[in-house]
Amino acid sequence: MKAILILSALAGHALAAQPLVARIKPAELARLQQADPMIRLQSPAEGEAKVGRPAGQSIINQSTVLHDGTRWTIIPDGAVLFVPEQMKARVGAEPSGQLLGWTEFLTANRGWLTTCEVSFDQATGKESLPAERCGFWAKQDKIVVAVHQRGPISFRGNKTPNTPQP
Amino acid sequence: MKTILPLLMLAALPAAASPQDNIHFIRQHQQGTNVVWDMPVPTTGQAPSALALESGGSLFQLWSIAASPARDYLLDQKLVGAYMPKAEIKVVTLDPDGKIPRTRVDQPFRVEIQVSDLLTGTEFPLAASSVLLERHVASYSREQTVLDPVAVISSTPMSSGYLTANGQHVMAFQASGLTASDPTKACGEEHFVIHALPDGNIAQSQIASAMVQVWPVASGEIKGITTGDNIRFQLPQVELLLNDLYPRSDTYLLLFEGTQTTGTEGTIIKAFPMDRETSASHVLRVSELESKLTDDGTYTLVLVSETVFGREMLCDPVTFNIRRTIQVNAMQVVGASEQAPSEEFIYEEASGESLTSDESL
Repeated sequence: MKAILILSALAGHALAAQPLVARIKPAELARLQQADPMIRLQSPAEGEAKVGRPAGQSIINQSTVLHDGTRWTIIPDGAVLFVPEQMKARVGAEPSGQLLGWTEFLTANRGWLTTCEVSFDQATGKESLPAERCGFWAKQDKIVVAVHQRGPISFRGNKTPNTPQP
Repeated sequence: MKTILPLLMLAALPAAASPQDNIHFIRQHQQGTNVVWDMPVPTTGQAPSALALESGGSLFQLWSIAASPARDYLLDQKLVGAYMPKAEIKVVTLDPDGKIPRTRVDQPFRVEIQVSDLLTGTEFPLAASSVLLERHVASYSREQTVLDPVAVISSTPMSSGYLTANGQHVMAFQASGLTASDPTKACGEEHFVIHALPDGNIAQSQIASAMVQVWPVASGEIKGITTGDNIRFQLPQVELLLNDLYPRSDTYLLLFEGTQTTGTEGTIIKAFPMDRETSASHVLRVSELESKLTDDGTYTLVLVSETVFGREMLCDPVTFNIRRTIQVNAMQVVGASEQAPSEEFIYEEASGESLTSDESL
C-alpha cells in the first residue's frame, strides 16, 4: 500500500513537471518544414555529380549457391575451386530450404566440403597456387572453396579444368 | 592499408524483412581487381577487413538474406579507399531510445557529418575537393514500418549539395521533411547519404549513410461524452481512441475539477504506457470514471500523451456537468374538513431549475 502511494505521488509529480500543451497544428508544422538547412549548400548542376546507386543489386544473383539437400549458403562467384563429378548437383542449386551462414554450412558439411586458403595475390591471379595442392583436390572427392582468412573469396587465378567458371 | 569496419550493429539494423532467422553477410568488393570476399561476421561487434584497400577503393556491403522465400536486402554499403575522401555521418534526435534513431515528424533533429581527406583549393577538381550530401525521404504506406533502404536511396533525392571543407558539418532540421495531406500524420524514413565523386566510371560512390525513422504526431478522441453534457444519472460508456501513439509514450485520461487544466493536478483515470519500436493505435474503454464523480459540479477530461518531447493533449478537453442531487421539498396540507391529507412534492435541481410534480398521494 505504501509503495502504491509513493508510486502515485511520483507519477503525479512527473505529470506535473512538464507543462501541458496543445497538439501542433498542421499549418504550424508546414511552416517548420519550410526551413531546410540544405539550401545553404551549393547544389550540383544538371548531370554534374555522377553517383553510383545500389538499385538492382542482389547478393544471391552475384553468388554461387551451395546446397546439401536441405540447407544452403552462398559464396562469391568464382570461389569454387574444384567440383568432383558426383558433387555437381550441390553447386549452383536453387536457394531453397534452410539458409546457413558460410561457417555453419561448412561445419555441417565437412564430409563433402573443404577449403583452400589462398592469399590475396593468389586470388587476383598474380600468383599461382602450388601445383601439388591442386593435384590433391581430385583425390578428396570434396568440393573445394577458396577462402581467405576463413571467408570465401573469388578466385581469378588458374583453376583445374573441371572447375565451373563464374 | 587495412580498414576496421565501423560497428556492425546487425541486430540493430532495420532489416527490411526482419525475422530473427535472417542471415547477414558482409561482402567486400575490391574495385581495382574485382576480387570479392565474404567476411565472417558475428551478429554484433567490429572486425578488421582482411583485404588491403586498393587505390580504386573497396566497397563494403551489408546484406541480410531471408531464407523462405530466398530474398536479399542490402542494408548498407560504404566505399572506402586509400586516396578517397572519408566521411562519418549520424542523425541525432531528441529521443535517446530505440534500436535505430527515431523522431517525430514535428520535432527537430540534427545530422552531424565529419569529412576528412578532401583537398582544399580552387585548383583541384570537384572530385578531390568535395563530397555530395543527399537527403532522401520516403513515406510508409498503411501498416508499413520499415522500407527497403536500397529503394529509398536509389530514388531522386529531395535535396542535395556539396560539402567542400574537411571537419564537422551540422545540419539542423526544425522538423522532418516528410509530407502528407495532414502533415502531422506523415511518417516514414529520412536517409542521408554522402557520395564521393571519384574521377572516371565507378559502380558505387556511397561513402557514408545514416537514417532516421519518423513517426506521426499522436491524436485522440474521447467518445461517449461531449463538452456541455449535463449528466444526471449514470455516466455514458466512455471510450478513448488513441491514434498513432509514439513508440515510447505514456498516455493518460486526466480528470480536473472545474474547467481549469493548468495550475492544478488532474486525477489519473486511465493510464496506457507503451514501449515498443513502432507507433501504434488503440481503443480503450473507461470504466473507472464513475467512481471518481461522487460530487456534483463541473469537470474536465483531458487526454494527454507524455513522450520525450513533452506533455501534449491529444484532443480538445471535454468539460461536462454532474447534476445528481435531488432536492425534495414536501408540504403537507391538512384541510378543515378532515379530508385525507394532500401533499405536493417538488423535485428541484440544486441549480434551482425545478421539476415539479403536483400529484396527490
